Amino acid sequence: MFRQDRILIAAMLLSMPLAAQEQPRMRRPGGGAGMDYREYDAATLERGKAAFVANCGFCHGANAKGGESGPDLVRSVVVIDDENGNLIAPIVHGGRQAQGMPKIDVNDKQLTDIVAFLHEGVRAAAERGTYKLLNIVTGNAKAGEAYFNGAGKCNTCHSVTGDLKGIGAKYDPVALTSRFLMPVGGRPGHRNTSPIEVTVTQANGRVVKGTLERIDDFTVSITDSDGNYRSFTRNGDVPKVVLKDPAQAHFDLLEKYTDAEMHNLTAYLVTLK
Amino acid sequence: MKRFVLLLVPGLLAAQTGQNLILDPATLLKPATDAWPTYNGDYTGKRFSPLRQINQQTVKQLTPAWIYRAQAGPGFNTIVGGTGPDAPPVAGRENSFGGLQIKATPLMLNGVLYFASPDNAWAVDAHSGKELWHYFWKTTGGIHIGNRGVGIYGNWLFFETPDDYLVSLDARTGKERWHIQIADVKQEYFSTPAPIIIGNHVMVGTGGDTLDVPGFLESVDPETGAMQWKWWSEPLKKGDPGSETWPNEASMRHGGGMTWMPGTYDPQLKLYYIGTGNPQPVETGHGREGDNLWTCSIVALNVETGKIAWYYQVSPHDTHDWDATQTPILIDGTFDGKPRKLIAQASRNGYYFLLDRTNGEHLLTSKFIETMNWSNGVNAKGQPIPNPGKESTIDGVLVSPNSTGATNWPAPSFDPETGLFYVDTNETFSVFYLTDTDPQPEGYAAAERNAGGMGNTLRALDYKTGKTVWKHKYPGGGGSAGILTTAGHLLFTGDGAQNLIAFDPATGKILWHAGLAANVVNGPETYMLDGQQYLVVGAGDSLYAFTVSQ
Repeated sequence: MFRQDRILIAAMLLSMPLAAQEQPRMRRPGGGAGMDYREYDAATLERGKAAFVANCGFCHGANAKGGESGPDLVRSVVVIDDENGNLIAPIVHGGRQAQGMPKIDVNDKQLTDIVAFLHEGVRAAAERGTYKLLNIVTGNAKAGEAYFNGAGKCNTCHSVTGDLKGIGAKYDPVALTSRFLMPVGGRPGHRNTSPIEVTVTQANGRVVKGTLERIDDFTVSITDSDGNYRSFTRNGDVPKVVLKDPAQAHFDLLEKYTDAEMHNLTAYLVTLK
Repeated sequence: MKRFVLLLVPGLLAAQTGQNLILDPATLLKPATDAWPTYNGDYTGKRFSPLRQINQQTVKQLTPAWIYRAQAGPGFNTIVGGTGPDAPPVAGRENSFGGLQIKATPLMLNGVLYFASPDNAWAVDAHSGKELWHYFWKTTGGIHIGNRGVGIYGNWLFFETPDDYLVSLDARTGKERWHIQIADVKQEYFSTPAPIIIGNHVMVGTGGDTLDVPGFLESVDPETGAMQWKWWSEPLKKGDPGSETWPNEASMRHGGGMTWMPGTYDPQLKLYYIGTGNPQPVETGHGREGDNLWTCSIVALNVETGKIAWYYQVSPHDTHDWDATQTPILIDGTFDGKPRKLIAQASRNGYYFLLDRTNGEHLLTSKFIETMNWSNGVNAKGQPIPNPGKESTIDGVLVSPNSTGATNWPAPSFDPETGLFYVDTNETFSVFYLTDTDPQPEGYAAAERNAGGMGNTLRALDYKTGKTVWKHKYPGGGGSAGILTTAGHLLFTGDGAQNLIAFDPATGKILWHAGLAANVVNGPETYMLDGQQYLVVGAGDSLYAFTVSQ
């Protein structure tokens, strides 16, 4: 089936490309897609949307995701495989009699804009790294405050007039939520939060204390209280290594939060401007 | 077409001349010793080697024999193919996934290793680590996240590319025989599996999650590249079996279910077992209400016809990207005191499943991570019941595991001597935020924000109960390494701190390790060559070979 499609498409490639001017393809950082998509300016997309709604929206829906009588065009192989209108234009101009689609009377400029609008719809679905989060602040700030000072025990380590003062202005709500769920980032020696405290008790009984740089099953590396970097070979329980992570409460809470508690805590913390 | 191909079967390999084909097909039907002829070493997916020169006594003497550092891209002696431009569509595409990572398990035949990375294939001398040839494919795009390796039929090699071509090379020279397009990269399909060859069938799967496309598995003629059959991961039209699990035809024709991992095969039953990927749109169930067959399923296909013999869906109506593509391992064992032909999968959703592989009868479901919070238990068939309250919402839901799952593609292993199923596990959390509120969402339709977790643990599960018999938590975090077990009573894998580690498979005690220059990123393999047992792993851009001195 697929190979037959290719033959059809190859035949269609003979039709003239619509737009002389080619938009650059680019890859948006973190977009996560496998193809490079064209970049269209906002004015083109706005005109394209208006022309689409006026000429195509009745059947294909105002957002091109399909309507009463026309298919979803964001998921359309014709649209996805199209290059500058080479596959779309013949269908718009010629219609698809068998499927009940009439010829559509649009000029070249309008068609170029419609093509841009459709390709942008594909890109927006494909590049998931560019998805826009909506309003996530739906919780109850009062309940969040109660959780902060109660069940969550957040106030054991934090103060809204101290280290968290103005935190709601510093981060947007999504970043703020990520931050309280798991403030720890990076490997131990380069954490963005307080370092992990380590106590190493050697076989001869000597105790070395410091902060954790790195640990695996075979080595533990620390910066000791004098600021010196030190590594110890680990062999099972020798030397004895005890870690104390000041951020441990955040790990413990992960398994306890209800979604409502998470939403309430976000709602409370965003008020700390 | 099908009849034509079937007529060719009596003349198997006839089109290849020469007395000494690199792969004798009989090699594929026995446990690998002097060869590693297919992705998992043999068709069972056990990744258990009967070799024992490297054992609990000799493992302390395990030392490097050679290191081969691969260089992707066109070089001095590179054979170049492909349809893309000379300059890749996006500079540094490889680097977007941390540079070259050898995720492939190399095949080893007649003293030569064959493997691939996205757009590249190599042959390397298995004695010395010296390169014999390198083939480079000029790409037209596609996600370059990884390649699991090559398949071989006689002298013909096969590998898949990120822009969805199946490329066949002459294994002796690296010269291209032909390439065929198997999917459309513009629809965001990208292909990573190692082709599995069964008789004269090359099993070709694909991946792709962002444009709501249907998954499929193709069987291809190794001589000509002609399609023998194609199995779609969803029913094709309303009224077909399975269509009752979708609201409408449009949803099933855009329903995902990718086939991006090699499967396993029972030559007596002539069934090919493959785990299918998640449904699409990926992170919301809106627009695809129902169980969404045959996504997130273990599927048994008749290897001659591509017809489905049975299926078992391990994640009905998945909304968290938990592909069920983890190797379904074939175990000949007992269950409830009776000998059974079994199939076992530790699935990305955090559940271990044990089935009868003759008919798909469900025998056992068991959780293998403790933090899992998305399920309301299991139904009468042992299938998880998703908690609708843990499907993405605009204001977010906190879910464990995250979309990477309780485990992922790195190879598990089953050791018939210990009766334990070994799997690398992650206890993670993420918030899933719905971003597309349309009644017919597209793509992922949601955004995920990682919230950390409790770390990474190697687990040994009793195959009959799914219970964790021992576990080893990596103090510095885990990596993305597969697992090998051997009759030398050893388990080899890698951690997230660039160590290759040998464990006692019975107890989880560490017996040996070697610090490498990168994390192990493939499944370790072993083979016998001139009386010497080799252990080979891929770590970063290099292959490392180890032997014991005699």
